[in-house]
This record gives sequence, structure tokens and C-alpha cells, in this order.
Amino acid sequence: MQFTVPFPPGGSTDLVGRAVARAVEKPLGQSVPVANKPGANGAVGGKEVLASAPDGYNIALLVKSLFAITPLATKDQTAIDLDKLKIVGTLTTEDYVLVVNASSPHASLEDLLKAPSVKYATTGVGTGAQLSQALLFKSAGTNATDVPFDGGAPAVTALLGAQVDALAAAPSEVMQHVKAGKLRPLATFNEKRSSYLPDVPTVKEKGHDVVVDQRRFVVAPPGIPDAVAKKLADSFTAARKDADYDKFLKDNFVERWEVSEDEARQHIKDARAQYAAQVEKFGLRLGK
Amino acid sequence: MWSGFAVVFEPQNLLWCLLGVTLGMLVGVLPGLGPAATIAILLPITYDLEPAPAIILLAGIFYGAQYGGTITSVLLRLPGEASTVVTVLDGHEMARQGRAGPALGIAAIGSFIGGTASIVLLSAVAPFVADFALKFGPAEYTVLALIGIFLVASLGNGTLVKGVAAAAAGLLLATVGSDPMVGEPRFVFGSDQLADGIDFVIVAMGLFGVGEILYNLEHRQSASADVPAFGRAWPSRLDWLRSRLAILRGSVVGFLLGVLPGGGATMSSLVAYAVEKRFAADPSRFGRGAIEGVAGPETANNAAATSSFIPLLVLGLPANATMAVLYGALMLQGVPPGPALIDQHPDVFWGVINSMYVGNLFLLLFSVPLIGLFVRLLKVRQSILAPLTVLITMIGVYSLRNNVFDMVLVAVLGLLGYGMKKLGFEPGPFVLAFVLGELLESAFRRSMRLFDGSLLGFVTRPISATLLALFVIAVVAVPLLRVRRHGHLDRHEVGRGGRDDAS
Repeated sequence: MQFTVPFPPGGSTDLVGRAVARAVEKPLGQSVPVANKPGANGAVGGKEVLASAPDGYNIALLVKSLFAITPLATKDQTAIDLDKLKIVGTLTTEDYVLVVNASSPHASLEDLLKAPSVKYATTGVGTGAQLSQALLFKSAGTNATDVPFDGGAPAVTALLGAQVDALAAAPSEVMQHVKAGKLRPLATFNEKRSSYLPDVPTVKEKGHDVVVDQRRFVVAPPGIPDAVAKKLADSFTAARKDADYDKFLKDNFVERWEVSEDEARQHIKDARAQYAAQVEKFGLRLGK
Repeated sequence: MWSGFAVVFEPQNLLWCLLGVTLGMLVGVLPGLGPAATIAILLPITYDLEPAPAIILLAGIFYGAQYGGTITSVLLRLPGEASTVVTVLDGHEMARQGRAGPALGIAAIGSFIGGTASIVLLSAVAPFVADFALKFGPAEYTVLALIGIFLVASLGNGTLVKGVAAAAAGLLLATVGSDPMVGEPRFVFGSDQLADGIDFVIVAMGLFGVGEILYNLEHRQSASADVPAFGRAWPSRLDWLRSRLAILRGSVVGFLLGVLPGGGATMSSLVAYAVEKRFAADPSRFGRGAIEGVAGPETANNAAATSSFIPLLVLGLPANATMAVLYGALMLQGVPPGPALIDQHPDVFWGVINSMYVGNLFLLLFSVPLIGLFVRLLKVRQSILAPLTVLITMIGVYSLRNNVFDMVLVAVLGLLGYGMKKLGFEPGPFVLAFVLGELLESAFRRSMRLFDGSLLGFVTRPISATLLALFVIAVVAVPLLRVRRHGHLDRHEVGRGGRDDAS
């Protein structure tokens, strides 16, 4: 068995992958070693699994942004076609939180959007952190410039030092500083308020139709026999009830996304279409 | 800071420290393998370790190598490291006079004192700098990277033109992958494999690991069979009287030059030797077994090895090739080196620093008793050692991303490294420029966005303006320094060169 996590060890997707890998061992009745094959937001490892034997022994953890956002930033002729992959389990959804430095003059989302000029940090090009903020500031008509950093940690450091005015990042990356009173959350980008930040409004509540999140799910290669796929799906359903897995999610401020394969497929397609339409409407350029 | 000692004294970490310094001494003894290559090769092994033990192990290899290199310089006139080349002059002479013991003894004691003095100063300086940590924005990093690349390219061991050329090539290679600001693929030839750029570890393993091994196959250095008796290791009263000021001066020289990007252990040992000769009442004793000629440089190279951690841990600027590899190691551990390190990962910062006290103590205790063993290791043929090292390297590369493409890349970069050495280009500036190039580009372009496209921002921010002034001074001063240093080198030229990737 090989569970490919196409992201570097130690990152948030890797942590989710390892947590669910441990939890799924018992229902599957065998050990599930994780192999990290990072590259191109999951495309490198994803393609490998797509091409591997559909015997149920090769599965991978993929992310929504690879299908919904990456295609907006780069044109890749050989991109993975989600329709070809079998989704054997949906796992998590993670919010993006818009934060400012605690010493910032902007006390609320309205304040920030009214600022004459905003420099906002992102955790990289083609990420949900970039898309969410770009859409928000564009739709609000704010004069804003994006400043991409290489991942969450350097972006958070830049905001702590007030080098930038705002940042959208995953809760796991900013919650410790929010709790320490160094960063102030202004809004989240999900449909509903985050259960970890119940007092923080969503961007949508404030009248901006911007919903961006990151979701993670497990896939198997095309042509996998139905019986094998069902065993995998049942095992992941059981794994999601695991107590350690539950604790991991709570410790890392990750929420559950547990839907059927069809719903998952539809959700990602809709998100992609919506992002594409919004990017088009606002004349955004994520990539080139 | 005290919590750092708690980290060090965990039995497991003591063991990693011991393993690190022992490995370090070992590669210090072997002329074919330097600390940068060893650390690069061992990087994948540290993936499964916590950050603190991983860096404790790797750091131990670096300063341990400074001890090991001395042994072969003194006993066999075969410097294991470039930083111990100058030790040959008086060290080997002492050995021929039957005083190898005191030479190695004073080197070990001096190294211990020099190393310890540097750790104390490092501990004092670091928190002070860390206070400025959050004031370091993209503008400051831009200038820091600029200073680093310039100094490293110009202070290397080769000619200025070749150093700058190698650095330029490194900068070019750093642009492979996605553009950091707009995501546009550059030089990826439509391949996903290169979409995220080339991993630093692959560059280090190729150029330092495989490249050095290939190069060394041509330049086989076999040990002479007879090892002089080294007698008792404890220096006599007279030795001690003669050396104590040399050790003091060596500590200062080593500390100061180690902090300088591009300085490091080799340069400081050369300067320390020159200083001792100048201070000596009777300079004619030098070259004929003067113990100060061993004590000064040996203290200095260890002090420098330790103090070169300062720019890395405090500013995130690797001062030499080995530090560049450690930079990569910290990044892999998710502990980015820089002003924020001490605040965000105090266990790693103080754990690593305090492990150096323990490591130096281990070295002091073990280096002399293990000499016999190390000397025998020199007799292992390159034809056995080299394939073994390449094999370990390749396994390590594959384990990075479980990717065969990476192994091909290492092989290609290995050939490049071999070609470069053959033509007199140092791989050091290339690798450092590769590391800092990414920082330079993204920090500069971030600054441009923050300053709305105006370069004025660099001079209106106080820290960046100060650093910029330092850069200008360096650009003016370095060519002058080079002239002076080459004067020294000519006078102290030692017939058989050691390795030079330590500095």
C-alpha cells in the first residue's frame, strides 16, 4: 500500500495526510505508509498515482485548489482531469482568515476596505490566500497590491513586523498570534463562520460575494474495481470517526468535509466555474 | 537560554552531538570529503529527526571537522581541511622533532578555548540582534542577500573573476521554476518536475558531494605509511606559556573573521598565523616547530567555525558553503533561519548553540585518544570509499521526494561541479549564490511592490540604508583586502593543498 501525499513533509496537507493514514490503518487492516512526492501544488504526485495500477494499493491525497485555482494561474496542457480520478473519501475543509497587525488602524473589514492603499501578503501565487484577497479587494474597489511570500510562515512574520497591511492564511498559521493578541482577525472567507472563530464575520455576511476555502480528499486511479473502491471508501468513513483524528483536526483548527463522491465532484466543479467567472469579471490576473 | 541546556542534556541529543563531532573528525581526517559534502549527503537522514537534534548533529560535523583536519596536518603533512593547511608548517615540524603530542594537544585545547569563546560571544550577540527581527522586511533582506552574494563571490579562494562568474551561474540556476511573484514558469521546459525549481539539497549534493568525489578520484592522496610517534599529548609549561597569548589572539581573529560572510575558518587560520609571526619575539622560529604557529591558527579556525553560525542563525545569511547547506537543513526542518528564529524556535536556537559547548568538550576528550584509529582510516582506498559515498548520496537524493528525476539532476550537477573544479571555478560561490539568489529576487520584487516601484524605499528605511552603506564599503574594501591577503598566501604557500570547501 502506498498513500501518496504530493506535498512536502511538515506542511498542512502532509499533516492531514498522516493523521488520516494512521486512522485508516485499523479499518483497512494493514499499514498505510505515507510517501511525500511534492511538486506543482500536487500535480507531480497526483499524475503519478493517476498512472499507477488501479488495484487499490495506490491512493493519494489531493486538494481542491489544484483543480479550482491552479488552472486559473497557469495553463497546463497535461493537467490532471478530475473526472478521471475516483474520489474514495472526502476529509477536510480549511478556512482562510483575513488578519491585520494588532497595532493596525483598521479595526474592521470596512475600515480596511476603505483604506487609501493596502499592501496584502499572500502565501504564494495561485493559492487560495491570493485568490480570496484579490477577489475581495477588487470587488470592494480597494486600491490594493499583492505581495506574495513563500508559504505561510514568512508571510505571517511580515505581518507581525507590520511590513504589510493584511494577510489571508489558514487558521493553523495565525491562530497562535490571534490568541496572543498580536494579530487581529477581520473576516473569514467561508460560507459559514469558522467554529474556531465564532465572533469573526464572514466576508459574505459583509456583503462581498467571495467564498474561498481549501478542501482535501483521497483519490484512486481510474479503472479501480467497484468492490475495491467501496472497501477504501468504507475504511475512510470509519477513519473519520477515529478519536485521534478528531483531536488532530481540533488542534489544527481544521473542519470536516464529509460528503459523497458526486457532491465532492460537483462542489469542486462549481467552485472552479465560480472562480473563473469572478476572475474574468474583475479582470484579475493570478498568473501571467 | 537555559532551556537550551535542557535540550542538549536529553540523552538522545547528547548522542547525536557525539555522533556529529565524531563524524566531523572523521571527515576532517579524510582529505577527500569536506564538511559541506558530508552534511549535504547526510541531510536526508535528518528528515525523521526533530529540528534540534538534526541541526545539533549537522553542526557537530562542521566544527568536529576542524579538529580532525589538524591530526593529519601534524602527523602526515596532509591537511584534511583547507583550514588546517597552515598548521602543517609548524605542526608537522613539531611532529618530526618528536613533539606531535604537544602539537595536537595544544591544537585541541586552543580549539576548545576558541570555540567556547565564540559560543559565549554568539550567545551575547544573538538576542540583541533578535530585537530587530521584525523590523527586517523585504528591503532589508534584499540588501543582506546582496552583501552575502558579493562577499562570497569575491572572498573565495580562486580569482575574483572566476568567483563572480560562478556566483552568476548560481544566480541563473536559481531562476529555474515558477516566478515567485506571478507564477510564470521559467526554464522548466514544460516539465512538472522543474515547476517548483531545483531543490537546494540537490544542488549541494551534486556540486559538493558527487562533484568533489569525482574530482578527488583524480587527485588521490594516499597516506604515508609511517606515522611519527606522538608521545604525551599534554603540553609542557613552556609550551603553555608560549601559546596562551596565541590562543587569545586566535580566538579574537577567528571570531571576527568567522562572522564575515565569505570569511570563515580557512581565512582566519591564515590570518592568525600571520598575526602570530608578527607578534613573535623571534619570528625565525616559525616554520621550525613553533608551538604558537599551531596554537594560533588552530584556535582561530575553530573560533571561526563557531562564529560563522552567527550570520546564519541571527540573520539567515549563510557565511560559507557549509553554512549554506545548514541553511537548507533548517529550511527542510520548517525552521527558517533568520532574525525571528530565536523568538519562534528558542529550543532549536539555544539547543544548537549550547550543544557546541558539549561538542567541544567531547572533541577535547576524544580527539587525542582516537588519533590512531583515524590515521588507519586514511588507508582506505578511494576506489572503495568513492563508490560507497556516491551510493549513499543517491539513496539520500531519492528519499528527498521519492523521485528518480532528482537522481539524474544530481548526476548532472555532479559533472558540472567536477568540470568547475577542474577549470578552477569554486563550487562554493555557485551554491551560495543559488541559495541567496532566490532570496534576493523575491525580496527585491516584494520591496518594489511595497514601495510602489520606487527604489527610494531602500535608503529611507534606517536598517536597509545602514546595510546598503556597508555594502558600498565592502565593494570598495574587498578588492584592497584581496591584494593584501594574496600577499600572505604567497609567502605561506603550502605544497600539498587540502580541501577548501570549509570556508
